[in-house]
Amino acid sequence: MPGSNRDKLTRRTLLGASVALASPIACLSARGAYAQAPAKTPTKVLDFLTYADVAKAEQEGAFVFYCHENEAGTAAIAEAFGKDFPKIKTSYVRAQTGALYNKISTERAAGRFDVDILQLSDLAPALDFQKKGGYEIYHSPEAGGYKPEHLSNPAGAFFWTGVTFGGLAYSTAKVKAEEAPKSWKDLLDPKWRNAMSCKISSSGLQFVQWYELRKLYGDEYWQAFAKQRPRGFDSRVQLFDRLAKGDDKVCALAEYAAYVLYKEKGAAIEFVAPEDGLPATPLLVGVVDKAPHPEVAKLFVDWAMSNRGQAFYQSNPHLIYGSLRTDAPPMPTGKRLSDFKLLTPTDYADYLGSRDKFTKDWNGMLGL
Amino acid sequence: MEPLSPEDGKRAAAAPEAAIPRTHIEIENLEIRYGPVPAVKGISFRVRAGEQLTLLGPSGCGKTTTLRAIAGLERPSAGAIRIGGETMYASAEGINIPAEKRGLSMVFQSYAIWPHMTVFENVAYGLRVRRKSRHEILTRVREALALVQMAPYENRPASALSGGQQQRVALARACVFQPSVLLFDEPLSNLDAKLRADMRIELRELQHRLGITSVYVTHDLEEALAMSDRIVVMRDGNIEQIGSPTEIYNLPRNAFVADFIGSSNLIAGQLRPDLASDGLIALETSAGQVVHGVAHGRAVPPEPVFSVRTVYLRLSFERPAGLRNVWPVRVHHCVFQGDFSQVNVTWGDRDLVVRSAALEPIPEGRDAFLSVEPRHCVLIEGS
Amino acid sequence: MQAPALRWQVPSGQAIAGFGVAGAAGILVLYPIFYLMQAALDVGDPDARPPTAYGLGNFEALPQYSEIMLNTLTVSLAATVMALLFGFVTAWILSRTNVPGRRTLEQLMAVPYYMTPLLGAFAWSLLGAPESGFVNQVWRALGGENALINLVTPFGIAWVMALFEGSVAFVMIGAVMKSMDPALEEASQVIGASRLRTMLRVTLPLVAPGVLGAAILVFAEMLGSFSAALVLGNPDRFYVVTTAMYQLVSQYPPRIPLAAAMGVSLFAVMFLMLFLYRRLIAGRSYVTISGKAFRPRVMDVGRLRWLLFAVCVFYVLLSVALPLMTLAFASVQKIAVAFPAASNWTLANYQTAFTMNAVRAALGNSLLLGVATASIGVVLMGLISWLIYRSRLPGSGFIEYLVMFPQAVPRLVFAFGMMWAWIVFPIPIYGTLWLLLIAYLTVFLPLGVRTISGVMLQIDKSLEECAQMCGAPWGYRIRTVTMPLLCPGLLAAWLLLFIASVRELGASILLMGPNAKVVTPTIVESWFATSAELTAAMALIQTLVIAIAMVVFLALTRRASMYAGE
Repeated sequence: MPGSNRDKLTRRTLLGASVALASPIACLSARGAYAQAPAKTPTKVLDFLTYADVAKAEQEGAFVFYCHENEAGTAAIAEAFGKDFPKIKTSYVRAQTGALYNKISTERAAGRFDVDILQLSDLAPALDFQKKGGYEIYHSPEAGGYKPEHLSNPAGAFFWTGVTFGGLAYSTAKVKAEEAPKSWKDLLDPKWRNAMSCKISSSGLQFVQWYELRKLYGDEYWQAFAKQRPRGFDSRVQLFDRLAKGDDKVCALAEYAAYVLYKEKGAAIEFVAPEDGLPATPLLVGVVDKAPHPEVAKLFVDWAMSNRGQAFYQSNPHLIYGSLRTDAPPMPTGKRLSDFKLLTPTDYADYLGSRDKFTKDWNGMLGL
Repeated sequence: MEPLSPEDGKRAAAAPEAAIPRTHIEIENLEIRYGPVPAVKGISFRVRAGEQLTLLGPSGCGKTTTLRAIAGLERPSAGAIRIGGETMYASAEGINIPAEKRGLSMVFQSYAIWPHMTVFENVAYGLRVRRKSRHEILTRVREALALVQMAPYENRPASALSGGQQQRVALARACVFQPSVLLFDEPLSNLDAKLRADMRIELRELQHRLGITSVYVTHDLEEALAMSDRIVVMRDGNIEQIGSPTEIYNLPRNAFVADFIGSSNLIAGQLRPDLASDGLIALETSAGQVVHGVAHGRAVPPEPVFSVRTVYLRLSFERPAGLRNVWPVRVHHCVFQGDFSQVNVTWGDRDLVVRSAALEPIPEGRDAFLSVEPRHCVLIEGS
Repeated sequence: MQAPALRWQVPSGQAIAGFGVAGAAGILVLYPIFYLMQAALDVGDPDARPPTAYGLGNFEALPQYSEIMLNTLTVSLAATVMALLFGFVTAWILSRTNVPGRRTLEQLMAVPYYMTPLLGAFAWSLLGAPESGFVNQVWRALGGENALINLVTPFGIAWVMALFEGSVAFVMIGAVMKSMDPALEEASQVIGASRLRTMLRVTLPLVAPGVLGAAILVFAEMLGSFSAALVLGNPDRFYVVTTAMYQLVSQYPPRIPLAAAMGVSLFAVMFLMLFLYRRLIAGRSYVTISGKAFRPRVMDVGRLRWLLFAVCVFYVLLSVALPLMTLAFASVQKIAVAFPAASNWTLANYQTAFTMNAVRAALGNSLLLGVATASIGVVLMGLISWLIYRSRLPGSGFIEYLVMFPQAVPRLVFAFGMMWAWIVFPIPIYGTLWLLLIAYLTVFLPLGVRTISGVMLQIDKSLEECAQMCGAPWGYRIRTVTMPLLCPGLLAAWLLLFIASVRELGASILLMGPNAKVVTPTIVESWFATSAELTAAMALIQTLVIAIAMVVFLALTRRASMYAGE
């Protein structure tokens, strides 16, 4: 394993940087990746490798999964894992990233440790959790399939199980193609006043959009945006439901994955990928420290990291994550991540530091 | 304590070996308050074994409250209650025995028949509580039901009974475990007049037969007079008079008792000691009429008043001879009321009310003579 | 002479049970309130627990959110007025006129109460959304412009709440009307006043105190409402205090002290309202068994009676039938529209709802909790009712206030306090069904105690006193006299508690854990996170399950309630 990592390092410089994810952490990750080489050998279960004791995991028999995805998505993940390991009873709690992180923090502060796996859609809480020692360090044998910048730093806390990104979407019933917005700046047109939707401040992706567009266009952009009086919602399902029914004309943060799903359902919507780029946020999975079922948790991480898990994440209609695994196939629509210009934060310190301003401004914009 | 009545004295004299009757219930300085409002203001009386004592008075006088305090369903504020020599309540010693342990029995105004049980079960309840054997329960319940003529209704659901029938079952239930004391809280007030009259007699006979001490509460005068051995007249939380029915009727102590028990004319006047004779006293009214009456050993107050029962006044068209109390009057109102007629007459400067049976209707304005025997003009104590 | 004084020292079984029950109620109610207050006064580091600094800072920040307070008051007031209107008109029609089918209509009028405001909110959202609402689609198809109605507004919230609460107002005002002596109206008519004049000059003033009491109670309940505002208000950024609190708590980072301060202020207003209500109805006698029942004289309205019949039926349709049908209509479509194409029909929503593990688990949990809450609740609240209204133990008046306390606290606020309170409890019940059970028992105390004591007070005291005089000790009396007579009341309370707990939202939404999901919050989550169509299917399934449970329960207990006398 260590050998192939080194191979991948040299190969990386040859691969075209398709996903513009340069990060200062990258240079450190080389050292971190094999700092703690595990002593035991991995076992093969189904079609992937794991360091977890599968028999013990089955004895533990249960799996508690905290996830930011909507109900259908979370249920799908838990169900998929449960199908592969029928002896393990899965249960989950889903809430938007912010609320989810709240919940787990509160619980841990009170001495409750009931969670095995945490999946978040925002780097900020993940890094915070890592700082607090909330993740258990586990080096999966499947970690070799990932670039170091798609693992935590130091590695072993969490990994990027996928990427979700968003552009613009509009209702074809309410908006003619000529009038439709083509770029982010088009959203500031007064004709979209009171007819736009976006997400609320606890969404990871929304934070990224705010951060990135602020970098591109400055604070004035969001001040003008606030004048449009957009409506904020908790989940992308709501956004697309309303768009499909014509309750909103334009969605200012339309996740590609949800667009795919709704288009299949026959909704009258259209997706626009602005030239300046699409904000993207990683989806982060890690084993929680003091998990009640540690072997199951490790098994899950290996499962999720593996091709098997990644194929599932990519193809499930409720998820459609873009996989970061270096040998992953294209998404069900045929597109790859590299087909899109993705915007992700690079300066994590700056990113984290602006969280508070974002929360205050965004909440103020939405009325609370 | 209040003095024994003349009847008691006679009884004692007649049977010296029976001695003075045993006191069964003793109430001493009983005070009952609802918050700041006093309902019973420090009363005392005794109930003798085997007698029926009635608490009589207008609503709000505290009679029901007193009864419930004896039962243990109300908690007094001060005083003592002793039954059969045992202290049931004593504020000084902090004793208050709960109702279920006092061994008394009560018949409620609303009968309190349990609708979800049969007649048999209702009556058997008290015995079941005392864990009597099946055989004993069967016998005693049947006896009790027979006593009130409700034997054929044994298995009827209690909710299917009429008012009178419920009344009897309540009675049977109260007697079945042979309590030493029976308490009655206006048991007949929910029955119609005819039934009431019949039940009165039955209750009285029952009580005599079983010889149980009873404390009876009612606001109905007839009932009290018909059924009681002694009556306690109450008003506003105080006792106005205690005595036998005839005593209370004939010798009312004050104006309230005089007018509450039957109807009475109150005649005030100045004492004329010069006209006193044969143990009678004489009062002269402001209009100058002289009335001869009896004092019954009572001290004459500065403003003496005679109570003269309306039924004892006699109207005639010729002057009766040989009577001390005769006056000319003018009839100004006569109302026929079935068993009697009520006549208002002008007597000097005021009205008097006369009740007379079988009187021909007298036209207004007719002159007549009014007479009354002196023994029926009773001096009342201060009001 | 007996041995003195000692008699009073030994507590009777009655006293022990009494104080035990009172203690339990006290802990249930006051423990969370303490934590709520603590959170509201926390001005230190929000992550530290226990709080590092106390102060009034959170309350000082409240004027910034005065818009939310104003929203709450406006919506509650509007809803109260409408609910009273519904209630008064229907009560008057059903108790004063010779409208046909009165008995059936009266029973029908209770049904809207079983339709939760949540269902109503979903349905009216589907009907009255400005763009996608069915009514507006029909309107546009008929040639109208834009939207006929827009219910995703404060008015919509008030409308949904009023439809639901109208049946409560109906019951209360109806009771007031029934207790009015008809001779008073007849006297007016004999003198020659017209019917209208009689109604305005005699009837209205006489029922005014009762109506006012109903108004205060309804207003207090409206203040604490959550589900309608959540569904119809949040999308348009219209917040009331309860939804604002929920929002503040779910945000990242959460603003708990602010939410707690809002909760406390709402609680203060509600408490005041309820205090006024109790003063107003103080001294009313509840004994109806041995009392005279008035049969109000019924007015002949001639041909108008069919119109009035229609009015009553229309209310029931609006509040029950229309929402249910709307939900059913939406649940069988892929994307709900007013004029679905043939390809839009599907049963997939029901399929998904039935197979979704979350739904099945949640429904199972809810039913289990419902049975547990109802069964334990009936015993606990029965004892409490007896303690307050029948025993003569000291402090029973205080217990009455304590027990009615949760009524003054919106469910969400209470749950907030509970979340805080029980998370630090040494026994790990947080996140389990046990916590939900405790929460339900606490918030339903007023409901259960009110129902059971209502029946208890109808039983003449003398029935129990007589048992006492026959020598029965306390426990024996309760078992042989009080309980059998209470039976129908206890059964009704059981059913009410069962339904209330299966439908519960405000408390459950904060206290659910991964293994302790219950159905109504799951449905709400589904509304916000999956499609409206799927949510409609889930809501209908829940309604059906409750209806089946009710029917089963009523059938089983029909015999039991037959003999218990009245």
